[in-house]
Amino acid sequence: MIPELTDKYYKEKFTVLNALHQVNDPELNINIVDLGLVYAVEVTDRDINVDMTLSTRSCPMGGMITAHAKLAVEEAMPGYTVVINLVWEPKWNADKISEEGKALLGW
Amino acid sequence: MMPPQDHIPSRYAILPYYATAAVSFVLIGFLCLLSAQAFTDHYFQPKLLAITHLAVLGWATMVIFGASNQLAPVISEQRLYSEKIPVAVFLLKLSGMAMLVTSFWNFSFTWVAFAGGGLLLLSFLLHAYNLFATIKKADSNIINDFILTAHVWLILTAIIGLMLLINLRFPFLPEDHLHYLKLHASIGMAGWFMQLVVGVSSRLVPMFLLSQKEEKKLLTITFYAFNLSLILFLMEGMVFKSTLGRPLYLLIFLIGITCYLRYIWQCHKTAMRKQTDQGMKQTFLALFLLSIPFLLLLFILFAGNKIPVQVFTAYGFAYFFGFISVIIMAQTFKTLPFIVWMHIQKPNQLPELMPKDLFNERWVKWQMLLYLPGFLLFLAGILLQHVLLLYSGSVLMIVAAAFYCFHVFRMLLKLKTK
Repeated sequence: MIPELTDKYYKEKFTVLNALHQVNDPELNINIVDLGLVYAVEVTDRDINVDMTLSTRSCPMGGMITAHAKLAVEEAMPGYTVVINLVWEPKWNADKISEEGKALLGW
Repeated sequence: MMPPQDHIPSRYAILPYYATAAVSFVLIGFLCLLSAQAFTDHYFQPKLLAITHLAVLGWATMVIFGASNQLAPVISEQRLYSEKIPVAVFLLKLSGMAMLVTSFWNFSFTWVAFAGGGLLLLSFLLHAYNLFATIKKADSNIINDFILTAHVWLILTAIIGLMLLINLRFPFLPEDHLHYLKLHASIGMAGWFMQLVVGVSSRLVPMFLLSQKEEKKLLTITFYAFNLSLILFLMEGMVFKSTLGRPLYLLIFLIGITCYLRYIWQCHKTAMRKQTDQGMKQTFLALFLLSIPFLLLLFILFAGNKIPVQVFTAYGFAYFFGFISVIIMAQTFKTLPFIVWMHIQKPNQLPELMPKDLFNERWVKWQMLLYLPGFLLFLAGILLQHVLLLYSGSVLMIVAAAFYCFHVFRMLLKLKTK
């Protein structure tokens, strides 16, 4: 997931994605961006909305992963209100995993 | 939906179970060494009864109770109904088990044994109540059905067990003791352990492998096949006091097992995670080891009347010390690091450690490399009635269990340092 260069908030979105790269799935030990769990990042002058999913609905680590995602973005973008939206559509699948993520999963 | 942070149960509802199970596992190894000679005799004798009940209650059921207190809020997306009940259950279960196992070891059936059996039954009822109350609000699904039904079979197993215990001192059962003992053992093995392993693994295996396809219909067939065969088996044994239908019930049960294995195979085939860790490799090994008790059971059912008594002992041993113990050893390192990590880690702090940093993957491999030959040597010792094989097998099992126990406590102690 790479923000458009022409996007007004390109720099902010890039920073948010960099921050989310620090958040790993505890079971797989792969960051949530390369796993394709981050679906969208919306930035306005004051707010940041991240749409993300989990690899499975009943992920026991779900609460911790989303809390860490929020924390990572808040630390990288102080002064913004950060909201993490957990979404289940579209359903997460292998196509969403980056090449780096696939390599780490042993593909 | 996913469980919010406050749905994580208290560590006291889970970790004492894992710690006690690890200690019991070592103790079982020592008792096997001390009683090696007893494994060449009939299975109905004090030392084997004590070891079996320690293995079943102190090791396998102990871990399962701890893990289910962790898993119930995950699958139901609710808080654990009560966090005090697991503490009470743990204390009741531990004291009941100590009383029962020492009574078997000394073959002394006084009020201590009866009180022990009663405390155990009470602990099972309380644990089941807590799980039912936690899961009842969740959407009905086949995995919850497996877990809840397994608890019903556990309670039935315990009731028959208590009846058998009383029957040893005050004989009242119409058929001979061994007839009911076989019912007690079989519904415990198939209704409680097998059904619970199937239910829990059907949730965990696709989650750990990132499987893209889960054929839940196969699990539905497994569920009905298991319970139909168990109900028929129990009714025939208790009401008609017959054994004629057993090959048919085994066949129905085997259909259930086949569907479950096919489900696991589908999960494996469609896994997005191609690299399997030791925990998953050993889980598949445990499923393979399940073939040993099934082959022995087929032999028992179809070999006629003159079956050597050690085949029965080998069947029970292969089930608990092969399939059940290996799957527990494997899944300990797929669950406990995460449980400990969730209690170390704060949501308002980015992690310095990950669950994989809390244990040593190579140790998990070495534990099994020591345990597996120990188990096979001991099994061969039972079948061949060879004491030297029994001694060497139990020594290896003790070393493996001590290694496992050290590994578990090393993880638990991280909670103290953080």
